[in-house]
Amino acid sequence: MTVMSVSRLRRLPRAFVFGAAILIASVIVATFPSAFAPYDPLAMDYVNLLAPPSAAHPFGTDNFGRDVLSRVIHAYTIDMQIALFATLFPFIFGTIVGAIVGYVGGVTESIFGRVVDAVITFPFLVLVIAIVSVLGPGLINMYIAIGVVGWVFYARIIAAEVKVQKRLDYADAGRAMGYTHARIVFRHLLPNAITPAVVYWMTDMALAILLGSSLGYLGLGAQPPAAEWGVQIADGKNFMATAWWISVFPGFAIVLTGLGFSLLGDGLAEILRGRK
Amino acid sequence: MSMTAFLGRRLLQLVPTLIFILIVVFVLVRLLPGDPASAVLGDRALDADVERINRELGLDRSLPVQFVAFVKQVFTGNLGNSISMKIPVTQLIADRLPITMLLTFMAAVIAVVMAVPLAFVAALRRDRLEDSAIRGAFQVGLSMPVFYVGLILLTVFGAKLRWFPVGGYGDGFLDHLYHLFLPAVTLALSLSAILMRNLRSAIIGVVDAEYVTFARAKGLRANLILFRHILRNALISTLALFGLSIGTLLGGAVITETVFAVPGAGRLMVDSIYGRDYPVVQGLTIALAVLVSVTFLLTDILQAWLDPRVTK
Amino acid sequence: MTRLSLIATTAAVLLSTTSLVQAQERGGVMTYGRYADSMFLDPVLNDANVDIWILSNMYDTLLLPTDDGQSVQAGLATDWNVSDDGLTVTLTMRDGIMFSDGTPITTEDVIWSLDRARNPDNGIWNFLLAAVSEVTAPDDKTIEIKLAQPDPAILPALSVFNAAIMPKAAFEAMPGETDLEKATAFAEKPVGSGPFVFDSWERGSTLKLVKNEHYWADGADGQKLPYLDGVTFEVIPDDATRILRVQSGELDGAELIPFARVKELQDDPNINMELFPSTRVADIIINVRPELDGEPNPLSDVKVRQAMNYAANKDAIIQVVTFGVGTPTSSFMSSTTPLHTGDGPVFPYDLEKAKQLMSESGYPDGFTASILTLAGNQDELGIATALQQMWSQIGITLEIQQVDNATRTEQYRNGTFDMRAGAWTNDIADPNQITSYFAYSPTIDALHSGWKSEEVDKLFEESQSELDTDKRAEQYARIQEVFNQEGPTVLLYETPYPVALQDNVKGFNQIPLGNNIFRETYLEKE
Repeated sequence: MTVMSVSRLRRLPRAFVFGAAILIASVIVATFPSAFAPYDPLAMDYVNLLAPPSAAHPFGTDNFGRDVLSRVIHAYTIDMQIALFATLFPFIFGTIVGAIVGYVGGVTESIFGRVVDAVITFPFLVLVIAIVSVLGPGLINMYIAIGVVGWVFYARIIAAEVKVQKRLDYADAGRAMGYTHARIVFRHLLPNAITPAVVYWMTDMALAILLGSSLGYLGLGAQPPAAEWGVQIADGKNFMATAWWISVFPGFAIVLTGLGFSLLGDGLAEILRGRK
Repeated sequence: MSMTAFLGRRLLQLVPTLIFILIVVFVLVRLLPGDPASAVLGDRALDADVERINRELGLDRSLPVQFVAFVKQVFTGNLGNSISMKIPVTQLIADRLPITMLLTFMAAVIAVVMAVPLAFVAALRRDRLEDSAIRGAFQVGLSMPVFYVGLILLTVFGAKLRWFPVGGYGDGFLDHLYHLFLPAVTLALSLSAILMRNLRSAIIGVVDAEYVTFARAKGLRANLILFRHILRNALISTLALFGLSIGTLLGGAVITETVFAVPGAGRLMVDSIYGRDYPVVQGLTIALAVLVSVTFLLTDILQAWLDPRVTK
Repeated sequence: MTRLSLIATTAAVLLSTTSLVQAQERGGVMTYGRYADSMFLDPVLNDANVDIWILSNMYDTLLLPTDDGQSVQAGLATDWNVSDDGLTVTLTMRDGIMFSDGTPITTEDVIWSLDRARNPDNGIWNFLLAAVSEVTAPDDKTIEIKLAQPDPAILPALSVFNAAIMPKAAFEAMPGETDLEKATAFAEKPVGSGPFVFDSWERGSTLKLVKNEHYWADGADGQKLPYLDGVTFEVIPDDATRILRVQSGELDGAELIPFARVKELQDDPNINMELFPSTRVADIIINVRPELDGEPNPLSDVKVRQAMNYAANKDAIIQVVTFGVGTPTSSFMSSTTPLHTGDGPVFPYDLEKAKQLMSESGYPDGFTASILTLAGNQDELGIATALQQMWSQIGITLEIQQVDNATRTEQYRNGTFDMRAGAWTNDIADPNQITSYFAYSPTIDALHSGWKSEEVDKLFEESQSELDTDKRAEQYARIQEVFNQEGPTVLLYETPYPVALQDNVKGFNQIPLGNNIFRETYLEKE
């Protein structure tokens, strides 16, 4: 690493560095789970049911005698996917729609308003259960259900911000200089308006993992025997008093990953603001 | 544009939304595999029984015919009878939706009370110990599944300390508030974290913006700057988020309601979807849609008041 | 067990036995936590366990199931007699019986109630009384039931919830045109003659019953029943919360404790963790049609099914899913069902034998199949997860599909499933209901599996009018032998009803058919 890149790294916000470090580590674990997991996450051991943490099983075993540590590690693969795929489409699509709607206003905004109303007022669970019942349970269908609703949040946040931004002086200046609408929106307004959406996006990734857990509680999330933190916590609910390790360790993993996303979000916000 | 005209326009806009939702929910519930008879009878269902029940419910008719009958009903204020419970859907909604409304309202108040002051502290003490502590605490709250938090609160504050009842809804208004406190806190956790993070970031953005520096230079007193400029500007995007989240809360309180044994509309909705109780799902969807729209309208009005440009 | 708790237990046992002769504590309201609310409190038109299991507290029947759920005892009728040709049942009505509103119960009410219960247009339970051709009252104390053909299960049928005696006049005075409309109005505030009376109902939350002052029965202490002033049912869908409410003393009892928690509650000195014998069996139902989706179906091969049965380690599943609470089934019907045969698992775990059977089958290299489980049901998920691993050793790849009840029922009824997890509880103290659904193909194609045995069908038809108990037992022994060996199921385990009660709750019973019986329940003062 050259001196220059180190000094550049130093100039980055601390939150960004920590967040990125956590997430890079998470992505590595998610990509090569077998390199880290001591056991096969699916192997059952009927004589070692609900064993507390020990040297052989640092996170204990679950009610099937499966190694909790190995399951937490293998769950990284699915949960990082959930965090990303469940939110990426809503973020991109919502941001574009929000920017256009906020800039153009008028009839576009009225139509958008009706769409937002319809999407938001439609009970989310009805939609999820309907999609999952018709298409079958599983992650892809979960992404679809989340995506159908999720983009609206980004669009609304961005639209509100862009509307404020476009009345500030520099937007007028852009127009006066004869820039195209697209250039004004995406080069000038959006970078200034996008901060709250990015911050929300990072929170949303943690929320997506949690939603996986809620759906797991209802039996609609990741399908067994795959390990997924939310489902692990839901499965461990009956053992909170007698075998806390089944649900607490996946819980730590969610908190840690969520923290990574949040720090990254805060750091990104600082960088974006700094660039202004 | 005057506020009355703005209100009138927004109310008028509700009509197409509601019609759209009416059609979608009507089609969607009927797309679901299975029918009410097989949902309720389960393994005991005999073909003859299923056919007879579908005939009695009028489900053997074509979809358009059923839809026309349904719309006629809705316009007479009759949402039909529940298939599994037999009683009128309007009665079910009147019994159970207010419970969810109260729960959501309490959760919203608690979330705001937790999020707003702490967001200010965190933003103004940016990157100091206070900021890290507040963000860390909210992060943990945000990362815990609702049913897990609920059970921990019930175990500690209900069963162990006996400060609160272990679930249920109680009798009488004050008792309801008492029973709903823990579920409301549970429901408020993720919302307050979302609001706190958004508001903190917005405040930082506003504090850094030129017009605050300008106001400071003009010598305005620090408190005035905070409340006139920062709050007003910072709240805009947070408010948009808040309005959206309330909608999700209203429809998504089901897990909280299940864990705390609160007989609200969320639980009724999920049971009715699983039971293919079409009239209840339809009626409840419409009622929730109206409710969410009204909440939306309220946040829009607030937003317009904070930033008059939004109504233009 | 510590010495102190041993003393406490001994004392409790002594107390409960001595209190049988002493006067029971009277009064108090028992609060009981249930996993779901009732839906429709009409004995004839209801269709779910949430109703069935509490109806007998409000509505009385001519005969009552015994505490072991195996036979009948006196209810509103004191004597009963089946004629030698099996075509007439004569019952003598109890003296001075009244509905909870104080109006006397007449033979007219009985005739009307039974006619309504057996009407083929009413509900899904009328098949239980299908043999009845006419109900008459020769005098005001006697009921005569004429049967079109002999029915060995007619007495248990008269003790089933749908044969409850309801007040004709009160029912017919209800608003509405049809039976359903009247029943809906009536069930909002039902009147019956059970030990308790409906008081109030907040749906999704609380159902309150109070003592029926006009109830006819006397308790062991010679005093009038019931002992309790009332029973309050609270709906608490989440298992953990339900348990927490018992532990915190807010509930006197709670049903359907997850097996994972049984041991922990057995160790709790303040809680009496009851495991009431039940008729509940858990199994895997297999689609045995020769073709599925146009492809040959490996599951139609009886050797494959037997291999699957041998490869399923029942003890391990019982350990993993029921935490040792269950026992392996020895037949498709529970050991608490009358005329059950067998002891010990039909297919003891034997992986070698399973592998050998697979190699002899048409699918020595294995195959892929799916199993439907109920979304959110931890037991079924546990069974499927364990089987997934066990069957992988004989080359079967199992895909688990969690679906909701309606979706599953549709696939089940359409015969488009490969396999599904299933559970069954009897509603009548006779083997005929479970056998009709499981083995007798004309009812529902043997659990919609497409399985058919001419021999079983013939035996079942004969047994339905066989009055000779021994002969009927032989018929059932053979039916079970054929079905268990070749049938469309993987037989797993039977489990009791796990109910957690406060230590001071005495005399509560959940009979094997599931009915919660509060009539002799009392709360001991501390």
